[in-house]
Amino acid sequence: MSENNANPFAYTEIVKDHFLNPRNFIMGDEKEWQSDGEGIVGNPVCGDQMLVKIRVKNGKIEDIGWKTYGCASAIASTSALSELAKGQTLEDADKITAKEICDFLGGLPEHKFHCSVLGHQALHKAIQNYLEKTS
Amino acid sequence: MNLDYGNASSLHSYGQIAKNELIKARTKIATLIGVAPLSLILTSSGSESNNTVVRTFENCPIFVSAIEHPSVLKPAETYGSPCVKIPVSQEGIIDLVFLKAKLEETIRKTPKTKILVSVMLANNEVGTIEPIKKIAALIKELRTKHRTKIYFHTDATQAVGKISVDVKTLGVDYLTFTGHKLGAPVGVAALYSRLGAPLKPLILGGAQESHRRAGTSNVLLACAFAKACELAKKNLEKYQKVEILRDYLKEGIKQKIKSQIVITPKNSLPNLLCVSFPASEGESTQLYLDLAGFEVSTGSACASGDLEPSHVLMAMFHDAEIAHGSVRFSLGPKTTKKEIDLLLENLPPIIEKIQDLSTLNKENPNVRK
Repeated sequence: MSENNANPFAYTEIVKDHFLNPRNFIMGDEKEWQSDGEGIVGNPVCGDQMLVKIRVKNGKIEDIGWKTYGCASAIASTSALSELAKGQTLEDADKITAKEICDFLGGLPEHKFHCSVLGHQALHKAIQNYLEKTS
Repeated sequence: MNLDYGNASSLHSYGQIAKNELIKARTKIATLIGVAPLSLILTSSGSESNNTVVRTFENCPIFVSAIEHPSVLKPAETYGSPCVKIPVSQEGIIDLVFLKAKLEETIRKTPKTKILVSVMLANNEVGTIEPIKKIAALIKELRTKHRTKIYFHTDATQAVGKISVDVKTLGVDYLTFTGHKLGAPVGVAALYSRLGAPLKPLILGGAQESHRRAGTSNVLLACAFAKACELAKKNLEKYQKVEILRDYLKEGIKQKIKSQIVITPKNSLPNLLCVSFPASEGESTQLYLDLAGFEVSTGSACASGDLEPSHVLMAMFHDAEIAHGSVRFSLGPKTTKKEIDLLLENLPPIIEKIQDLSTLNKENPNVRK
Protein backbone atom coordinates (compact mmCIF):
# COMPACT_ATOMS: atom_id res chain seq x y z
CA MET A 1 0.00 0.00 0.00
CA SER A 2 0.90 3.65 -0.23
CA GLU A 3 1.86 1.16 -2.71
CA ASN A 4 4.09 -0.37 -0.04
CA ASN A 5 5.05 -3.51 -1.91
CA ALA A 6 8.38 -4.60 -0.48
CA ASN A 7 10.08 -7.31 -2.43
CA PRO A 8 9.10 -10.26 -0.19
CA PHE A 9 12.29 -12.17 -0.46
CA ALA A 10 14.81 -9.53 -0.39
CA TYR A 11 15.75 -11.78 2.56
CA THR A 12 18.22 -14.66 2.66
CA GLU A 13 17.18 -18.30 3.04
CA ILE A 14 18.47 -18.25 6.65
CA VAL A 15 16.27 -15.22 7.45
CA LYS A 16 13.34 -16.99 5.82
CA ASP A 17 14.01 -20.10 7.91
CA HIS A 18 14.20 -18.17 11.21
CA PHE A 19 11.12 -16.15 10.25
CA LEU A 20 9.03 -19.22 9.47
CA ASN A 21 10.46 -21.45 12.20
CA PRO A 22 11.51 -19.07 14.96
CA ARG A 23 13.76 -20.69 17.61
CA ASN A 24 13.28 -20.36 21.38
CA PHE A 25 10.25 -18.08 21.24
CA ILE A 26 7.78 -18.13 24.09
CA MET A 27 4.56 -19.79 23.06
CA GLY A 28 1.43 -18.50 24.75
CA ASP A 29 1.50 -16.31 27.84
CA GLU A 30 4.99 -14.94 28.40
CA LYS A 31 4.21 -14.31 32.09
CA GLU A 32 4.10 -18.03 32.68
CA TRP A 33 7.64 -18.37 31.35
CA GLN A 34 9.67 -18.26 34.60
CA SER A 35 12.86 -16.25 34.24
CA ASP A 36 15.73 -14.69 36.20
CA GLY A 37 15.84 -11.50 34.15
CA GLU A 38 13.94 -9.77 31.36
CA GLY A 39 14.40 -6.80 29.05
CA ILE A 40 12.27 -5.04 26.47
CA VAL A 41 13.23 -2.58 23.73
CA GLY A 42 11.59 -0.87 20.76
CA ASN A 43 8.32 0.88 20.31
CA PRO A 44 5.18 -0.46 18.64
CA VAL A 45 4.57 3.00 17.12
CA CYS A 46 7.75 2.48 15.08
CA GLY A 47 6.63 -1.04 14.27
CA ASP A 48 9.15 -3.10 16.26
CA GLN A 49 9.29 -4.34 19.85
CA MET A 50 11.31 -7.16 21.43
CA LEU A 51 11.07 -8.86 24.79
CA VAL A 52 13.88 -11.17 25.92
CA LYS A 53 13.77 -13.36 29.04
CA ILE A 54 16.66 -15.41 30.42
CA ARG A 55 17.20 -18.25 32.85
CA VAL A 56 20.68 -18.18 34.39
CA LYS A 57 22.64 -21.05 35.93
CA ASN A 58 26.28 -20.88 37.04
CA GLY A 59 26.81 -17.57 35.26
CA LYS A 60 25.58 -18.98 31.94
CA ILE A 61 22.39 -18.44 29.96
CA GLU A 62 20.75 -21.80 30.48
CA ASP A 63 17.63 -20.87 28.57
CA ILE A 64 16.33 -17.89 26.64
CA GLY A 65 12.82 -17.00 25.51
CA TRP A 66 11.46 -14.07 23.53
CA LYS A 67 8.54 -12.38 21.84
CA THR A 68 8.79 -9.92 18.96
CA TYR A 69 6.33 -7.60 17.32
CA GLY A 70 7.64 -6.58 13.93
CA CYS A 71 8.67 -7.50 10.44
CA ALA A 72 10.42 -10.62 9.17
CA SER A 73 13.80 -9.08 9.84
CA ALA A 74 12.85 -8.29 13.45
CA ILE A 75 11.50 -11.80 14.09
CA ALA A 76 14.43 -13.56 12.43
CA SER A 77 17.04 -11.41 14.15
CA THR A 78 15.61 -12.07 17.63
CA SER A 79 15.49 -15.76 16.80
CA ALA A 80 19.13 -15.61 15.65
CA LEU A 81 20.15 -13.77 18.81
CA SER A 82 18.54 -16.46 20.96
CA GLU A 83 20.59 -19.10 19.19
CA LEU A 84 23.79 -17.09 19.58
CA ALA A 85 23.22 -16.40 23.29
CA LYS A 86 22.03 -19.78 24.52
CA GLY A 87 24.70 -21.52 26.61
CA GLN A 88 26.98 -18.49 26.66
CA THR A 89 28.33 -16.86 29.83
CA LEU A 90 26.54 -13.63 30.70
CA GLU A 91 29.71 -11.73 29.85
CA ASP A 92 30.02 -13.24 26.37
CA ALA A 93 26.31 -13.01 25.64
CA ASP A 94 26.35 -9.34 26.55
CA LYS A 95 29.00 -8.75 23.87
CA ILE A 96 26.83 -9.99 20.96
CA THR A 97 26.54 -7.19 18.41
CA ALA A 98 23.97 -6.33 15.75
CA LYS A 99 26.58 -7.13 13.13
CA GLU A 100 27.08 -10.65 14.49
CA ILE A 101 23.32 -11.24 14.35
CA CYS A 102 23.25 -9.89 10.80
CA ASP A 103 26.20 -12.08 9.74
CA PHE A 104 24.60 -15.14 11.36
CA LEU A 105 21.56 -14.55 9.14
CA GLY A 106 23.66 -14.18 5.98
CA GLY A 107 22.95 -10.46 5.78
CA LEU A 108 19.90 -8.17 5.98
CA PRO A 109 18.68 -5.39 3.69
CA GLU A 110 20.53 -2.17 4.58
CA HIS A 111 17.42 -0.18 5.58
CA LYS A 112 16.27 -2.97 7.88
CA PHE A 113 19.51 -3.32 9.80
CA HIS A 114 19.19 -0.21 11.98
CA CYS A 115 15.52 -0.48 12.91
CA SER A 116 14.93 -4.16 13.32
CA VAL A 117 18.06 -5.67 14.85
CA LEU A 118 17.33 -4.81 18.47
CA GLY A 119 17.32 -8.19 20.20
CA HIS A 120 20.85 -7.80 21.59
CA GLN A 121 19.72 -4.58 23.31
CA ALA A 122 16.83 -6.43 24.90
CA LEU A 123 19.24 -9.15 26.01
CA HIS A 124 21.54 -6.51 27.49
CA LYS A 125 18.61 -5.17 29.51
CA ALA A 126 17.67 -8.70 30.62
CA ILE A 127 21.23 -9.31 31.84
CA GLN A 128 21.22 -5.97 33.68
CA ASN A 129 17.87 -6.88 35.20
CA TYR A 130 19.29 -10.23 36.39
CA LEU A 131 22.40 -8.58 37.86
CA GLU A 132 20.30 -5.98 39.67
CA LYS A 133 18.09 -8.67 41.13
CA THR A 134 21.00 -10.82 42.34
CA SER A 135 23.37 -8.14 43.61
CA MET B 1 -2.72 -1.64 -37.08
CA ASN B 2 0.14 -1.52 -39.55
CA LEU B 3 3.31 -1.90 -37.51
CA ASP B 4 5.34 -0.06 -40.18
CA TYR B 5 4.01 3.25 -38.96
CA GLY B 6 5.71 6.61 -39.01
CA ASN B 7 5.79 9.73 -36.90
CA ALA B 8 2.20 10.90 -36.44
CA SER B 9 3.36 14.50 -36.90
CA SER B 10 4.77 13.80 -40.39
CA LEU B 11 2.93 14.47 -43.62
CA HIS B 12 4.18 11.42 -45.50
CA SER B 13 1.88 8.43 -45.83
CA TYR B 14 3.36 6.40 -43.00
CA GLY B 15 2.96 9.47 -40.80
CA GLN B 16 -0.66 9.83 -41.87
CA ILE B 17 -1.39 6.17 -41.10
CA ALA B 18 -0.01 6.75 -37.61
CA LYS B 19 -2.00 9.96 -37.25
CA ASN B 20 -5.23 8.20 -38.15
CA GLU B 21 -4.52 5.38 -35.71
CA LEU B 22 -3.87 7.96 -33.01
CA ILE B 23 -7.17 9.72 -33.73
CA LYS B 24 -9.06 6.42 -33.54
CA ALA B 25 -7.29 5.46 -30.32
CA ARG B 26 -7.96 8.83 -28.68
CA THR B 27 -11.65 8.57 -29.57
CA LYS B 28 -11.94 5.13 -27.97
CA ILE B 29 -10.13 6.24 -24.80
CA ALA B 30 -12.31 9.38 -24.55
CA THR B 31 -15.48 7.32 -25.00
CA LEU B 32 -14.77 5.31 -21.85
CA ILE B 33 -15.17 8.40 -19.66
CA GLY B 34 -17.68 10.19 -21.92
CA VAL B 35 -15.61 13.17 -23.12
CA ALA B 36 -14.69 14.77 -26.45
CA PRO B 37 -11.45 13.33 -27.91
CA LEU B 38 -9.84 16.76 -28.12
CA SER B 39 -10.21 17.31 -24.38
CA LEU B 40 -8.02 14.28 -23.73
CA ILE B 41 -4.23 14.52 -23.42
CA LEU B 42 -2.18 11.37 -23.65
CA THR B 43 0.69 11.19 -21.15
CA SER B 44 3.22 8.65 -19.94
CA SER B 45 1.70 7.92 -16.53
CA GLY B 46 -0.95 8.85 -14.00
CA SER B 47 1.81 10.65 -12.10
CA GLU B 48 2.54 12.83 -15.14
CA SER B 49 -1.17 13.63 -15.58
CA ASN B 50 -1.48 14.58 -11.90
CA ASN B 51 1.71 16.66 -11.95
CA THR B 52 0.57 18.51 -15.07
CA VAL B 53 -2.67 19.66 -13.44
CA VAL B 54 -1.17 20.54 -10.08
CA ARG B 55 1.77 22.45 -11.55
CA THR B 56 -0.64 24.53 -13.65
CA PHE B 57 -1.64 26.05 -10.29
CA GLU B 58 1.90 26.85 -9.14
CA ASN B 59 1.84 29.63 -6.50
CA CYS B 60 -1.95 29.33 -6.13
CA PRO B 61 -3.86 27.82 -3.19
CA ILE B 62 -4.14 24.06 -3.76
CA PHE B 63 -6.59 21.97 -1.72
CA VAL B 64 -6.02 18.22 -1.60
CA SER B 65 -7.43 15.41 0.49
CA ALA B 66 -5.00 14.03 3.06
CA ILE B 67 -5.22 10.61 1.43
CA GLU B 68 -4.25 11.51 -2.15
CA HIS B 69 -1.70 9.49 -4.08
CA PRO B 70 1.87 10.85 -3.65
CA SER B 71 1.79 12.05 -7.28
CA VAL B 72 -0.83 14.62 -6.21
CA LEU B 73 0.37 15.23 -2.65
CA LYS B 74 4.04 15.90 -3.42
CA PRO B 75 3.51 18.44 -6.24
CA ALA B 76 0.72 20.09 -4.20
CA GLU B 77 3.09 20.45 -1.23
CA THR B 78 5.83 21.75 -3.53
CA TYR B 79 3.86 24.19 -5.70
CA GLY B 80 0.75 25.09 -3.67
CA SER B 81 0.75 28.46 -1.96
CA PRO B 82 -0.47 27.32 0.42
CA CYS B 83 -1.17 23.59 0.16
CA VAL B 84 -4.24 22.82 2.29
CA LYS B 85 -4.86 19.22 3.27
CA ILE B 86 -8.49 18.28 3.77
CA PRO B 87 -8.94 15.85 6.68
CA VAL B 88 -10.89 12.63 6.28
CA SER B 89 -13.20 10.56 8.51
CA GLN B 90 -12.37 7.05 9.71
CA GLU B 91 -14.12 5.86 6.56
CA GLY B 92 -11.69 7.95 4.52
CA ILE B 93 -14.34 10.44 3.35
CA ILE B 94 -13.26 14.06 3.08
CA ASP B 95 -14.63 16.68 5.44
CA LEU B 96 -16.88 18.80 3.21
CA VAL B 97 -17.60 21.31 5.99
CA PHE B 98 -13.87 21.91 6.45
CA LEU B 99 -13.38 22.23 2.70
CA LYS B 100 -16.18 24.76 2.32
CA ALA B 101 -15.01 26.87 5.27
CA LYS B 102 -11.37 26.90 4.10
CA LEU B 103 -12.34 27.71 0.51
CA GLU B 104 -14.52 30.62 1.62
CA GLU B 105 -11.73 31.90 3.87
CA THR B 106 -9.26 31.76 0.97
CA ILE B 107 -11.68 33.50 -1.41
CA ARG B 108 -12.27 36.23 1.19
CA LYS B 109 -8.55 36.84 1.66
CA THR B 110 -7.48 36.56 -1.98
CA PRO B 111 -10.56 36.96 -4.17
CA LYS B 112 -8.73 37.10 -7.48
CA THR B 113 -6.49 34.09 -7.16
CA LYS B 114 -7.03 30.86 -9.06
CA ILE B 115 -7.68 27.84 -6.81
CA LEU B 116 -7.31 24.10 -7.42
CA VAL B 117 -9.17 21.40 -5.50
CA SER B 118 -7.93 17.86 -6.09
CA VAL B 119 -9.74 14.90 -4.54
CA MET B 120 -9.35 11.34 -5.76
CA LEU B 121 -12.40 9.48 -7.04
CA ALA B 122 -11.49 6.34 -5.11
CA ASN B 123 -8.61 5.63 -2.77
CA ASN B 124 -6.01 3.09 -3.81
CA GLU B 125 -5.29 1.67 -0.34
CA VAL B 126 -8.69 1.37 1.28
CA GLY B 127 -11.10 1.70 -1.68
CA THR B 128 -13.21 4.56 -0.28
CA ILE B 129 -15.24 6.35 -2.97
CA GLU B 130 -15.20 10.12 -2.42
CA PRO B 131 -18.32 12.30 -2.84
CA ILE B 132 -17.07 13.88 -6.09
CA LYS B 133 -20.49 15.10 -7.26
CA LYS B 134 -21.06 16.88 -3.94
CA ILE B 135 -17.64 18.55 -4.13
CA ALA B 136 -18.31 19.60 -7.73
CA ALA B 137 -21.64 21.11 -6.66
CA LEU B 138 -19.93 23.00 -3.82
CA ILE B 139 -17.31 24.36 -6.22
CA LYS B 140 -19.97 25.40 -8.71
CA GLU B 141 -21.85 27.19 -5.95
CA LEU B 142 -18.73 29.09 -4.79
CA ARG B 143 -17.76 29.87 -8.38
CA THR B 144 -21.13 31.46 -9.08
CA LYS B 145 -21.45 33.19 -5.72
CA HIS B 146 -17.98 34.74 -5.62
CA ARG B 147 -17.09 34.74 -9.33
CA THR B 148 -13.88 32.97 -8.41
CA LYS B 149 -11.76 30.79 -10.62
CA ILE B 150 -11.90 27.51 -8.71
CA TYR B 151 -11.08 24.35 -10.61
CA PHE B 152 -11.63 20.73 -9.65
CA HIS B 153 -9.41 17.76 -10.46
CA THR B 154 -10.03 14.12 -9.63
CA ASP B 155 -7.50 11.33 -9.80
CA ALA B 156 -9.62 8.46 -11.07
CA THR B 157 -6.72 6.06 -11.59
CA GLN B 158 -8.12 3.40 -9.25
CA ALA B 159 -11.76 3.89 -10.18
CA VAL B 160 -11.82 3.75 -13.99
CA GLY B 161 -12.51 0.20 -15.11
CA LYS B 162 -13.81 -0.85 -11.68
CA ILE B 163 -16.86 1.42 -11.49
CA SER B 164 -18.68 3.48 -14.10
CA VAL B 165 -16.96 6.87 -14.53
CA ASP B 166 -18.66 9.60 -16.53
CA VAL B 167 -17.06 13.04 -16.52
CA LYS B 168 -20.27 14.93 -17.28
CA THR B 169 -22.09 13.36 -14.32
CA LEU B 170 -19.14 13.98 -12.02
CA GLY B 171 -18.78 17.65 -12.97
CA VAL B 172 -14.97 17.86 -12.77
CA ASP B 173 -12.61 20.07 -14.79
CA TYR B 174 -9.76 17.57 -14.90
CA LEU B 175 -9.57 13.79 -14.54
CA THR B 176 -6.59 11.44 -14.48
CA PHE B 177 -6.62 7.78 -15.42
CA THR B 178 -4.04 5.30 -16.59
CA GLY B 179 -3.66 2.42 -19.01
CA HIS B 180 -1.93 -0.20 -16.90
CA LYS B 181 -4.81 -0.34 -14.40
CA LEU B 182 -6.97 -1.48 -17.33
CA GLY B 183 -4.55 -4.03 -18.66
CA ALA B 184 -2.57 -1.89 -21.13
CA PRO B 185 1.23 -1.88 -20.80
CA VAL B 186 2.80 0.53 -18.31
CA GLY B 187 3.80 3.83 -19.95
CA VAL B 188 0.55 5.37 -21.16
CA ALA B 189 -2.11 7.39 -19.35
CA ALA B 190 -4.60 10.16 -19.98
CA LEU B 191 -5.58 13.51 -18.63
CA TYR B 192 -9.01 14.94 -19.33
CA SER B 193 -8.80 18.73 -19.30
CA ARG B 194 -12.09 20.57 -19.87
CA LEU B 195 -11.73 22.86 -22.89
CA GLY B 196 -11.48 26.35 -21.41
CA ALA B 197 -9.86 25.25 -18.14
CA PRO B 198 -6.24 26.42 -17.77
CA LEU B 199 -3.46 23.92 -18.47
CA LYS B 200 0.28 24.53 -18.56
CA PRO B 201 2.27 21.84 -20.34
CA LEU B 202 4.69 20.03 -18.07
CA ILE B 203 6.88 19.07 -21.02
CA LEU B 204 7.64 21.91 -23.43
CA GLY B 205 8.69 21.39 -27.02
CA GLY B 206 6.70 20.27 -30.06
CA ALA B 207 3.06 20.88 -30.84
CA GLN B 208 1.82 17.36 -30.01
CA GLU B 209 -1.35 16.90 -27.99
CA SER B 210 -2.58 20.33 -29.20
CA HIS B 211 0.40 22.09 -27.62
CA ARG B 212 -0.39 20.62 -24.21
CA ARG B 213 2.24 17.87 -24.02
CA ALA B 214 5.37 17.78 -26.19
CA GLY B 215 7.06 14.57 -27.29
CA THR B 216 6.65 12.26 -30.29
CA SER B 217 3.27 10.56 -30.02
CA ASN B 218 3.53 6.99 -28.82
CA VAL B 219 0.98 5.54 -31.25
CA LEU B 220 1.58 1.92 -30.33
CA LEU B 221 0.91 2.49 -26.63
CA ALA B 222 -2.09 4.70 -27.46
CA CYS B 223 -3.58 1.82 -29.47
CA ALA B 224 -2.96 -0.63 -26.63
CA PHE B 225 -4.60 1.82 -24.20
CA ALA B 226 -7.60 2.17 -26.57
CA LYS B 227 -8.02 -1.60 -26.75
CA ALA B 228 -7.80 -1.84 -22.96
CA CYS B 229 -10.52 0.86 -22.67
CA GLU B 230 -12.83 -1.07 -24.99
CA LEU B 231 -12.34 -4.22 -22.94
CA ALA B 232 -12.75 -2.31 -19.67
CA LYS B 233 -16.18 -1.16 -20.73
CA LYS B 234 -17.19 -4.75 -21.44
CA ASN B 235 -15.62 -6.00 -18.18
CA LEU B 236 -17.37 -3.49 -15.95
CA GLU B 237 -20.30 -5.76 -15.14
CA LYS B 238 -17.89 -8.51 -14.06
CA TYR B 239 -17.01 -6.32 -11.08
CA GLN B 240 -20.46 -6.99 -9.60
CA LYS B 241 -19.31 -10.57 -9.17
CA VAL B 242 -15.98 -9.35 -7.80
CA GLU B 243 -17.85 -7.30 -5.19
CA ILE B 244 -19.86 -10.33 -4.07
CA LEU B 245 -16.60 -12.29 -3.61
CA ARG B 246 -14.98 -9.34 -1.81
CA ASP B 247 -17.91 -9.19 0.63
CA TYR B 248 -17.69 -12.95 1.08
CA LEU B 249 -14.01 -12.56 2.02
CA LYS B 250 -14.87 -9.72 4.41
CA GLU B 251 -17.55 -11.74 6.20
CA GLY B 252 -15.27 -14.79 6.30
CA ILE B 253 -12.48 -12.81 7.96
CA LYS B 254 -14.89 -11.29 10.47
CA GLN B 255 -16.21 -14.71 11.33
CA LYS B 256 -12.92 -16.59 11.54
CA ILE B 257 -10.58 -14.03 13.07
CA LYS B 258 -11.60 -12.49 16.36
CA SER B 259 -9.26 -9.52 16.47
CA GLN B 260 -9.47 -7.58 13.23
CA ILE B 261 -10.53 -4.14 12.08
CA VAL B 262 -12.22 -3.99 8.68
CA ILE B 263 -11.09 -0.67 7.22
CA THR B 264 -12.71 -0.60 3.78
CA PRO B 265 -16.09 1.15 4.14
CA LYS B 266 -19.38 0.12 2.55
CA ASN B 267 -19.24 2.66 -0.28
CA SER B 268 -16.00 1.48 -1.85
CA LEU B 269 -14.41 0.03 -4.95
CA PRO B 270 -15.70 -3.52 -5.56
CA ASN B 271 -12.26 -5.13 -5.72
CA LEU B 272 -10.48 -3.94 -2.57
CA LEU B 273 -10.55 -5.04 1.03
CA CYS B 274 -8.29 -3.47 3.63
CA VAL B 275 -8.18 -5.09 7.07
CA SER B 276 -5.91 -4.41 10.03
CA PHE B 277 -4.89 -7.29 12.29
CA PRO B 278 -3.84 -5.95 15.71
CA ALA B 279 -0.47 -7.20 17.01
CA SER B 280 0.25 -8.81 13.63
CA GLU B 281 2.73 -6.62 11.83
CA GLY B 282 1.80 -6.20 8.14
CA GLU B 283 5.08 -7.18 6.51
CA SER B 284 5.12 -10.43 8.46
CA THR B 285 1.54 -11.16 7.43
CA GLN B 286 2.42 -10.27 3.83
CA LEU B 287 5.39 -12.64 3.74
CA TYR B 288 3.58 -15.56 5.39
CA LEU B 289 0.74 -15.11 2.90
CA ASP B 290 3.18 -14.85 0.00
CA LEU B 291 4.71 -18.18 0.95
CA ALA B 292 1.21 -19.66 1.08
CA GLY B 293 0.63 -18.37 -2.47
CA PHE B 294 -1.31 -15.15 -1.79
CA GLU B 295 0.05 -11.76 -2.78
CA VAL B 296 -1.21 -8.87 -0.69
CA SER B 297 0.11 -5.44 0.22
CA THR B 298 0.44 -3.60 3.51
CA GLY B 299 0.51 -0.06 4.90
CA SER B 300 3.08 -1.02 7.50
CA ALA B 301 6.17 1.15 7.82
CA CYS B 302 8.38 -1.94 7.70
CA ALA B 303 7.31 -2.74 4.17
CA SER B 304 7.73 0.76 2.78
CA GLY B 305 10.90 2.14 1.33
CA ASP B 306 10.87 5.19 3.58
CA LEU B 307 9.92 3.24 6.73
CA GLU B 308 6.87 5.46 7.26
CA PRO B 309 3.43 3.95 7.90
CA SER B 310 0.75 4.56 5.26
CA HIS B 311 -0.25 8.25 5.17
CA VAL B 312 -3.77 7.13 4.19
CA LEU B 313 -4.32 5.00 7.28
CA MET B 314 -2.62 7.59 9.49
CA ALA B 315 -5.00 10.29 8.16
CA MET B 316 -7.98 8.02 8.83
CA PHE B 317 -7.07 6.67 12.28
CA HIS B 318 -4.08 8.67 13.62
CA ASP B 319 -2.82 5.36 14.99
CA ALA B 320 0.42 3.83 13.72
CA GLU B 321 -0.49 0.40 15.10
CA ILE B 322 -3.52 0.18 12.79
CA ALA B 323 -1.35 1.12 9.81
CA HIS B 324 1.38 -1.37 10.76
CA GLY B 325 -1.16 -4.17 11.03
CA SER B 326 -2.95 -3.42 7.76
CA VAL B 327 -3.25 -5.77 4.82
CA ARG B 328 -4.87 -4.99 1.48
CA PHE B 329 -6.49 -7.77 -0.52
CA SER B 330 -7.08 -7.00 -4.21
CA LEU B 331 -9.46 -9.15 -6.23
CA GLY B 332 -10.02 -9.27 -9.97
CA PRO B 333 -12.53 -10.69 -12.44
CA LYS B 334 -10.49 -13.90 -12.52
CA THR B 335 -10.56 -14.44 -8.74
CA THR B 336 -12.60 -17.52 -7.84
CA LYS B 337 -14.61 -18.51 -4.76
CA LYS B 338 -12.30 -21.48 -4.40
CA GLU B 339 -9.31 -19.16 -4.07
CA ILE B 340 -11.12 -17.08 -1.44
CA ASP B 341 -12.01 -20.23 0.49
CA LEU B 342 -8.36 -21.28 0.38
CA LEU B 343 -7.33 -17.86 1.65
CA LEU B 344 -9.89 -18.07 4.46
CA GLU B 345 -8.37 -21.41 5.44
CA ASN B 346 -4.78 -20.15 5.38
CA LEU B 347 -5.19 -16.74 6.94
CA PRO B 348 -6.44 -17.48 10.51
CA PRO B 349 -3.51 -19.71 11.59
CA ILE B 350 -1.03 -17.21 10.08
CA ILE B 351 -2.51 -14.29 12.02
CA GLU B 352 -2.70 -16.42 15.16
CA LYS B 353 0.97 -17.40 14.88
CA ILE B 354 2.18 -13.83 14.34
CA GLN B 355 -0.03 -12.60 17.17
CA ASP B 356 1.40 -15.30 19.44
CA LEU B 357 4.97 -14.23 18.56
CA SER B 358 4.10 -10.61 19.27
CA THR B 359 4.82 -8.59 22.40
CA LEU B 360 1.53 -6.75 21.85
CA ASN B 361 -1.93 -7.58 23.08
CA LYS B 362 -4.20 -8.45 20.17
CA GLU B 363 -7.29 -7.26 22.06
CA ASN B 364 -5.69 -3.88 22.63
CA PRO B 365 -2.50 -3.45 20.61
CA ASN B 366 -1.66 -0.17 22.29
CA VAL B 367 -0.79 -1.98 25.51
CA ARG B 368 1.56 -4.85 26.21
CA LYS B 369 0.32 -8.34 26.87
